[in-house]
Amino acid sequence: MILRTDKLTVGYGKKIVVADINVMLMKGQFVCLLGPNGSGKSTILKTIVHILAPLGGEVYLNEREISRMTNQDMAKTTAVVLTEPISAGLLTAYDVVMLGRYPHTGFMGKPAVKDNEKVIEALKMVNAENIAQRYFSELSDGEKQKTLLARALAQEPQLIVLDEPTSHLDARHRIEVMLILRQLTQEKGVTVIASLHDIDLAMKACDVAILIKDEHILACGTPEDVLKEDLVAELYGMEKATFSGYLGGVELKGNQAGSRIFVVAGAGSGASVYRALTKHGFFIITGVLSENDIDFHIAAAVGATVVKSPAYDVISQNTYADALKLLDGVAQVIDAGFPVGAMNQPNLDLIRWALDKGKTVHTLRSEAEAEALYGANAARLVYSRDFFELMSAVRRVVSTDHNHLSRT
Amino acid sequence: MTEPVINTITTEVFLARRWKRFALVLGLFAAGVCLFLLLNIVLGSVTIPLGDTVRVIFGGAGSDEAYSAIIWNIRLPRALGAVLGGAALAVSGLLLQVFFRNPIVGPFVLGISSGASFTVALAMLGSYLIGVTVVSSLALSLAAFIGALLVMGVVLMVASKIRDIITLLVIGLMTGYVASALSSFLIAFAQSENVHRFVIWTMGSFSGFRWEEVRLLAIIGIILLIASYLLAKPLNAFLLGEDYARSMGVNVKRFRYMVVFISCALAAIVTAFAGPVAFIGLAVPHLARLSLGTSDNRILIPASILAGAMITSLCDLLARMLFAPVELPVSATTAIFGAPMVIFFLIKGKTTI
Repeated sequence: MILRTDKLTVGYGKKIVVADINVMLMKGQFVCLLGPNGSGKSTILKTIVHILAPLGGEVYLNEREISRMTNQDMAKTTAVVLTEPISAGLLTAYDVVMLGRYPHTGFMGKPAVKDNEKVIEALKMVNAENIAQRYFSELSDGEKQKTLLARALAQEPQLIVLDEPTSHLDARHRIEVMLILRQLTQEKGVTVIASLHDIDLAMKACDVAILIKDEHILACGTPEDVLKEDLVAELYGMEKATFSGYLGGVELKGNQAGSRIFVVAGAGSGASVYRALTKHGFFIITGVLSENDIDFHIAAAVGATVVKSPAYDVISQNTYADALKLLDGVAQVIDAGFPVGAMNQPNLDLIRWALDKGKTVHTLRSEAEAEALYGANAARLVYSRDFFELMSAVRRVVSTDHNHLSRT
Repeated sequence: MTEPVINTITTEVFLARRWKRFALVLGLFAAGVCLFLLLNIVLGSVTIPLGDTVRVIFGGAGSDEAYSAIIWNIRLPRALGAVLGGAALAVSGLLLQVFFRNPIVGPFVLGISSGASFTVALAMLGSYLIGVTVVSSLALSLAAFIGALLVMGVVLMVASKIRDIITLLVIGLMTGYVASALSSFLIAFAQSENVHRFVIWTMGSFSGFRWEEVRLLAIIGIILLIASYLLAKPLNAFLLGEDYARSMGVNVKRFRYMVVFISCALAAIVTAFAGPVAFIGLAVPHLARLSLGTSDNRILIPASILAGAMITSLCDLLARMLFAPVELPVSATTAIFGAPMVIFFLIKGKTTI
């Protein structure tokens, strides 16, 4: 065990930010703190590295109470990467990383051969050797973050504490930083604790997730166990979005009062259709989807009304009837271009029925493919080659309806 | 098609080249110090031939008997005073710039000089308040030192409460204004001959430096300069900010007091002997930083010592010689040299810590 907190209360002055924190960090663990802005992630991190004094309780580093340790002792075990931007003047990236050798160099800070080697090694570890000779102030945000990470590594700590290490970074650097941290924990046995905003990255990279909300720890455990839809929704107070454990990400929810549209999809053909429609404020009804279909999970996450059929089962008469009833209530239908097999023949019937009823049916299929499936009825389909055309067509129908209504 | 030439050098080569640059710049500064020191001894109302100057300095006799007296009694102490004073002010400014993480801070800007001026005014002019008029230079130095410490104490007290740098700077400035205002009170009530002495003092000058003053400035100054060099490592850590410095093992509280004490004492001893000398503390650290291309204080401190000595010697030379026999206050030349330099750096975006 590297770090342990005992009834720790953190905050500023008299203001308690998070109370009663009891956590343990093991060697080689990658721990993340998740929580809304202002929930106290930074305050906790700053307290466990003794930048802030605790308001109550204790922090033990290798079983030593940290308020009894000197900064020098702490520095030999713990390194930090803070979120505040730093202006390092005319220091090169190399110089900044060399500052990580601070607790290991002599009184004047003269680097020995070994210190130089450690600095080069740290720079290599974060793939930043090529920027070593450049001034820190001239680096991009991603390069700066990698340099600061290398600085922390050069300190040869057992524990690295990072405050929002992925904020301000582009997708590539975000993933690169997470992979470096992952590698550190697994190959070097370093313990990492970081506050993060990306739930999906946290879920995919961390060993332990600590969820913080309203002055207390909401949950703590393996991300796969802890990061469930309802808990994540509670954590961030999300009403207009859903976190899906299956998808490992956040989906925006559709507009309940939006114009209703029926989507016939399956096998992933619906994913982009659902997201595009949600973005444009539609309320989605979709079916029939098997519970083992990826589209089923995405549709559920965007808050669509889903007509579902049990996993690995054929579509029953009752289910088909339910779908028909819902289909009858909408003016527009989208055929997402799903693959057709023995199990989803009724979905084709839904589209044929809608065409017979004179509903506007959009399709993403080619004309040849549609003719093969729907025969003569195919001529009544509205064809879209891409999403731009599909969304324009769908919205055009809605606005004509509006005009029609206002005229009558 | 030609392959683009990618200029990559190994870290070893890069570091070696950098050391070469450091050595070159330090060498140039040192040569500059020697040059201006020598010119300050040679030039004046009487120009002393170089050969005679060297002979006299090394204990011989010059071709004219007066040379020995001019060099030993007037020019050498003054020239050394400028060298030591410039070095002390430059390092004081450097320390404060790193500590406040602000490139436009100097002993003058934070009101340390105004504080010193106030207590010197109190000593020179406040005879009706304290009953005695202080004349000994040691007492004046002590007065200036206390004044500088008072202002710094106020700034530091605020610094421990408010972390916003600009607020801190403004408070330093305001404290300086208050000190100046108090000095004005004293001037209003003082005897005019004392006022004249004080006003001359506030304009700063290295003239009339005596050996005992040089000795004192040398002993205290060199001790403080060595002490500041010993702070180079934590100063470097402080470049990343207080939190990082703490996390790297810096005893921040002790460091804070050391920096404030040393920078304040350096500014105070110079102010006590030469009056407030403007801009050296503000501009010289930038000159050193940009010529070296680094913020590493292990190099910057020696560089600032040399550059401070060089520039101040030059400014004193100009102050003496430009409109001879009329002598300018040294702050006039340092400001004319320093202010445009600072403006230039600011506009070019080169100001950094």
